[in-house]
Amino acid sequence: MMNIHQPVYLEDKLEEVESSGKLAYRSQTLPTWCPGCGYFSIVEGVSKAMTDLGLNQKDTVCVSGIGCASRFPFFMNTFGFHSLHGRALPVATGIKVANDDLTVIVVGGDGDAFAIGGAHIPHAARRNIDITYILFDNGVYGLTKGQTSPTSIVGFKTTTTPYLNVDQPLNPLMMLLSYGASWVAQAYAGEPHHLTEMIEAAVAHRGFSYLHVLSPCVTFDKTSMTYKNLGMTVRPLPGDHDTSDFAAAMAAAQNTDLPQLGVYFAKERPTLADGLNEIAARAEATV
Amino acid sequence: MAKNAKQRTDIQIAICGSAGDGTIAAGDILKQAMAKAGYNVIAFDVYPPEIRGFGKCIARARITSEQVYSLKSESDCLVSLDDSHAIPHVPEVCKYGTVIYEDTPMSEMAEGTHISSHLASAQLPYGVAFREISERVTSSARSRNIVAVGYLAGLYDMPAEIFHQVIGRKFSGKPKELTDSVLSAFDAGFQTGAETFRLHFDRIGASRSKSKQSDLVMMSGNAATVRGCLDAGIDTFFGYPITPATTIMEMLAREMPKRGARLLQTEDEISAIAATLGAGYAGARAATATSGPGLALMSEMMGLGAMAELPAVAFVSQRGGPSTGMPTKTEQSDLNLAVFGVAGDGQRIILAPTNVEGCYKCAGKAFEMAEKYQTPVIVLLDLYLSNRYEAVELPVENPFSENCSKPVKKKPGKTKYSRFKLTSDGISPRAIPGDEDCMHTVTGLEHNEQGRPNDQPEIHQIMSAKRHEKLLTAVKHPGITISKRFGDKGKVDVGILGWGSTFGEILEAMIEARKEGIRCSAMKVVMLSPLPLGPIHAFMDDCGEVLVPELNYEAQFAALVTGATGRPVHRLNRVTGTPMRVREILAEIRRLAGQTEMIAAE
Ligand SMILES: Cc1ncc(C[n+]2csc(CCOP(=O)(O)OP(=O)(O)O)c2C)c(N)n1
Ligand code: SF4
Repeated sequence: MMNIHQPVYLEDKLEEVESSGKLAYRSQTLPTWCPGCGYFSIVEGVSKAMTDLGLNQKDTVCVSGIGCASRFPFFMNTFGFHSLHGRALPVATGIKVANDDLTVIVVGGDGDAFAIGGAHIPHAARRNIDITYILFDNGVYGLTKGQTSPTSIVGFKTTTTPYLNVDQPLNPLMMLLSYGASWVAQAYAGEPHHLTEMIEAAVAHRGFSYLHVLSPCVTFDKTSMTYKNLGMTVRPLPGDHDTSDFAAAMAAAQNTDLPQLGVYFAKERPTLADGLNEIAARAEATV
Repeated sequence: MAKNAKQRTDIQIAICGSAGDGTIAAGDILKQAMAKAGYNVIAFDVYPPEIRGFGKCIARARITSEQVYSLKSESDCLVSLDDSHAIPHVPEVCKYGTVIYEDTPMSEMAEGTHISSHLASAQLPYGVAFREISERVTSSARSRNIVAVGYLAGLYDMPAEIFHQVIGRKFSGKPKELTDSVLSAFDAGFQTGAETFRLHFDRIGASRSKSKQSDLVMMSGNAATVRGCLDAGIDTFFGYPITPATTIMEMLAREMPKRGARLLQTEDEISAIAATLGAGYAGARAATATSGPGLALMSEMMGLGAMAELPAVAFVSQRGGPSTGMPTKTEQSDLNLAVFGVAGDGQRIILAPTNVEGCYKCAGKAFEMAEKYQTPVIVLLDLYLSNRYEAVELPVENPFSENCSKPVKKKPGKTKYSRFKLTSDGISPRAIPGDEDCMHTVTGLEHNEQGRPNDQPEIHQIMSAKRHEKLLTAVKHPGITISKRFGDKGKVDVGILGWGSTFGEILEAMIEARKEGIRCSAMKVVMLSPLPLGPIHAFMDDCGEVLVPELNYEAQFAALVTGATGRPVHRLNRVTGTPMRVREILAEIRRLAGQTEMIAAE
């Protein structure tokens, strides 16, 4: 733990980063996000998690849809698939069905996931495809310059809701829990160390892991999901939260005013690959 | 059969009934048995979109000793299991053809509702008490259809033993009592048929010559497609059910897991093609199958496949459109969608087989091409091709090559791997996840050779050229007929240019026209994108008039060819939901031939 009263020297920090091995996972392309955007923590978190888990770059595929968050694969020195708006999950499904040995990490924004891509999430979750889905929720459309999203709050003013957004926001955590996701957690871009821990646990989970990351869009949201507002409201899940208790996870997910960070629910169950292997075994037995 | 061994056989039988009468099952037994007996068979069933209810079903089978290419416009025999449905088809029966119908006395019948009152004077009526016979031997009317098949077999002197085998196989796994009861219904029908007095009758003649009997199997276009996929070593399949493509997925679902391959029913067609591209990206031979509405949903992904240069195979079996259209009726109206349905300049390869054997070939070759040219490949089928049965000869040796992907040549210490490297043929060496030192990101954004997003003017120009030029060599892909000319060589009065399932009718019409002394030839085009322009130009150069018959309203192929060659063609379009009639094409050939003669005389 770094002591905040001690001065931090740039040379020390550089040496720490260089010796960490994280850079091996970063591509030559520098992130194109706005300064201050919560998304910088994805690249940092995923590189760190890959370093700690000892993943091989050549056996990892980062998949995304379209949006600011979805630019992520370009910044990694792994295999990458920057697909279409809303379609990261089915693409990842194909990759994983073709080669189950690959580690597949999917990243996307809230519009990508819950608007245009909403039809795919229940199926990826119920099939328990062994992938990690890191969802960066900024409550707004970033790449298209600030329109309302399915997680925008009622009353949020954007270019397409200049008077008022009247649509009730979705509750992604409750959705994913009810879809049967076998690992559900929440993190906050403003707490990068905890976020990295969560990414590591998500990747380590065998099955479909969903990590919801609250991430401010500093450019198109000055009022709602800002660092200031989120910083005042987020808090850890209670220490005695039981991650095997589905009802407790649903209850905790209902509290959107004071978002709680941590693992809501975790359960081991057969993955899609397990199921397909069983089908193959039964079919082979008939030959 | 021995007595007329030299007589050639060419009879077409239509069985017509309402859903629930067992019409399709009866037709199935007939075609399986006759194929087993060594005849060439082309069969096609028409059925209603509703599962229950009383919609019309017709099973047609053309049984021949010679090589033929389509069903005939006229049937030699119509079997009615339901008069209200069969009456409109009486005119389809040829002169001195037979109409066989239910003759079990009914308590009451309104005038004109019995089929016998609709026969022309030169059509021969055969009333049979199907119901009564079925009830007598099986104590239920349910085997009427089997009695009818038996009667047909008896009347035509078909080999009963082979029908027994086919019925036995069809009912294998069912209780023995059921099979026995079905067989007794067949026998009772057969006996009645054999004992029927025949005034003038084409008994079944010779089967095909012995040399050609080996290795012929009866299969539908969709079954041949499935065989092609399996022989090409398909690894993954993702699909969403839709008529008439569903049976491809159903057959693959049974066969693929036996070979360790993976199939998944996705939540929609967008995910089906997305997962197919994902699997292709990961190095698998991946495919999906759908119909027009599904292809419409897939078009954004097709563009991604073109841009990111990913292999994928999509089988698209067309049906009547637009929209939900006519799900159980045939049409060739998704050509424009297949060729042009994409955002931006997103050309891909389109193959359209013309017969069942072609389905096998195109299916397997599609995987080779997708891999070699790094692009989505659409194989355009249609309901008439998907569901029609032909006796086909499959090659003994697997004709498909394994990995056709251009490999990355490792040069240690050299510059970083460029996924989209510019090469002389436009095809870049392709690495897949798991390959050492080849990490890269593919994207639907325009990109440079390394795959990094780049929208500089010169990059978009160069990369667009690369993506299009690499496809040009596909028209020379080995081991597949891209286009082929039939009939008269050299200069002809009329040339018929065709694609897809209609080409069978085109060939039959061309053969008839030549018999009438018209100089004509026909050319099938199997690769619709990119078009084999060399052979098409050469063909058009030889033709006084060019006719393009196709089952759509907008003359989509005619417009495609005219657009690509700058030459006008005559269009012949039908959207009746049924195959085109040979005689309609023939009439058009005659008209065009006459026209040329007139011009010549002036
Ligand atoms: C089919 C399609 N429709 C619309 C777009 C335009 N588009 C690109 S990103 C985006 C929304 C981005 O918002 P979000 O998914 O929340 O991601 P963020 O940019 O906030 O990270 C939209 C509408 C597109 N690329 N494709
Ligand atoms: S627009 Fe918003 S979400 Fe996009 S990079 Fe900028 S701050 Fe981040």
